[in-house]
Amino acid sequence: MIRQLVVNNVLHRPIRTVVSILAVGVEVALVILIVGLTSGLLQETAKRIEGIGADIMLQPPSASVFLAFSGAPMPIKIADKLREMKYVQAVAPVLLQFSSSNGVDIVYGIDPKSFRDVSSGFVFLEGHDMQGPDDVLMDDWEAKAKHIAVNDTFRMLDHDFHVAGIVEHGKGARLFVPLATLQDLSGSREKASVFFMKCTNTEYTQAVMDEMRPVFPGYEIRPLKDFLSLMTATNLPGLNAFIKSMIVLAVSVGFLVILLSMYTTVIERTRDIGVLKSLGASKAYIIRGLLGESALICLIGIGVGIAMSYVTRAAFQSSFPTLSILITPEWIVRSALIALAGGLLGASYPAWLASRKDAIEALSYD
Amino acid sequence: MTITTTIRPPADALLTTRDPIVEPIVVTEDLWKLYHAGKVEVPALRGINFKVMPGEFVSVMGPSGCGKSSLLYVLGGLARASRGRVLVNGNDLTAMGDAERTKLRRDKIGFVFQRFNLLPTLDARGNIAIAQHIHGHGFDAKRFEAITQMLGLTGRLKHRPSEMSGGEQQRVAIARAIINDPKIILADEPTGNLDTQNSEIVLSMLSKLNKDLGQTIVMITHNPEAAAYSSRVVHMRDGVIVDAAPAS
Repeated sequence: MIRQLVVNNVLHRPIRTVVSILAVGVEVALVILIVGLTSGLLQETAKRIEGIGADIMLQPPSASVFLAFSGAPMPIKIADKLREMKYVQAVAPVLLQFSSSNGVDIVYGIDPKSFRDVSSGFVFLEGHDMQGPDDVLMDDWEAKAKHIAVNDTFRMLDHDFHVAGIVEHGKGARLFVPLATLQDLSGSREKASVFFMKCTNTEYTQAVMDEMRPVFPGYEIRPLKDFLSLMTATNLPGLNAFIKSMIVLAVSVGFLVILLSMYTTVIERTRDIGVLKSLGASKAYIIRGLLGESALICLIGIGVGIAMSYVTRAAFQSSFPTLSILITPEWIVRSALIALAGGLLGASYPAWLASRKDAIEALSYD
Repeated sequence: MTITTTIRPPADALLTTRDPIVEPIVVTEDLWKLYHAGKVEVPALRGINFKVMPGEFVSVMGPSGCGKSSLLYVLGGLARASRGRVLVNGNDLTAMGDAERTKLRRDKIGFVFQRFNLLPTLDARGNIAIAQHIHGHGFDAKRFEAITQMLGLTGRLKHRPSEMSGGEQQRVAIARAIINDPKIILADEPTGNLDTQNSEIVLSMLSKLNKDLGQTIVMITHNPEAAAYSSRVVHMRDGVIVDAAPAS
């Protein structure tokens, strides 16, 4: 019976109900999308770096796992030292450079031959490998997002590049230029940001790393197979705080809307509350009814929010193909619980007020 | 259809019996109710002594502001007495907490209001059934059917209050009041918002409940014609009972 009362009450004021549902939906979608966007970008970046196919990555001391945060302080001659080591099959020095000419991009300056040796080469969808100093390779997602075709001119870093080829995504970066060109453009002659290494057999990864440590004391030497697990929000300074802030903001919106909605509901239903009290309804019964309404609104809102998340992700990815939004069941459940808790908390005060209303005053309320 | 499980002796039989164990169902002793308007105490009831026997149909009459509704609310446990004692079915309301009075209301008292006070979001069936739900003994389909049939509501059960006439709404309110077989019905101006025809129907229903089922009823009314349906009329003025006499 109380279920029927709850459902009918929720349906009684459709606009207020829809607004409340949307507020909860936006709250849920915000949480899912913010977390999905950050973790999606991190995971996608990690997968691309793993996709290079290297076994070991060497970075300068105290370098971040987020490659773009590191400069280029390593002499390129390190590559020669690395090549001399036992079980090392290939070494590819890579220079990383931020480019904000056409959105935010990370450009890899590579030596095509050594990069091919480590990564087994690009899969060309169109065009060919870099041949001249101004050639650029672009991955298919980037080309689609920027509407670029082979032989187009692509300007970045205040330099006009010739798009030599479109390659399949998943090899570290989305843009590749010759190492020497990028060194010139960034004033990092004979420098590299990171060295990717391929062992003669993956089983020798640990042995090679052990051999490297005394030779490069303090340097960051990481096996690539663990890279995905390192690329998390907790390893990026400030990102966790940002995610938490956004969640608190989203929850506050839901909480306040539910609070206001239920508060107006209680005022509007003052007489009904008096009637329930005259029938012998306990305080708990009245609280249960109002929390039930809030829970129903939240549950519908959660469903709407999840749907909104998928629709928004599809819309984003259609407009920005390089954007990766990772929607995980874990965060769907978490956002649902957060929204439900926020909604119930928001309804608690109005419900408590309702339960304490004087029955006679409530019955004479107009 | 008769409600075999709830039939009580008619009022006359109870009143004429010589059995000494028949106790009043309602007793008030020096009952006072004070309201506060700022720092001023306004007495609504001033030492009421009042008894209602099981199966009686008592009307309480008096001018506006004489304390009739206050008396009804105190008897129903909706308001706390300021002084004196109130016994309903042997339970001393003045010694009870809010939760206990709520339980007493749930189990022993049925209210009928002037403004019907049906829940607007529920249909007639829901408005009656919710009383059973609050009572906590689940939905008694047999009793529900018997009562709705007796009150002529069978065809109106799927209608919401906004889709019913005043008379129909009040009959739903009566059904809601009696669905849990209360010891006493407290009716506050039950015909105050009804036209003559519907007033007669509602009063006949109350009278029938009293006569056929032995239902105890205390009814507040302004209307002498309504009071005529009861077995006894109590007159109030300025918070005191000034006269009690059998209804004409």
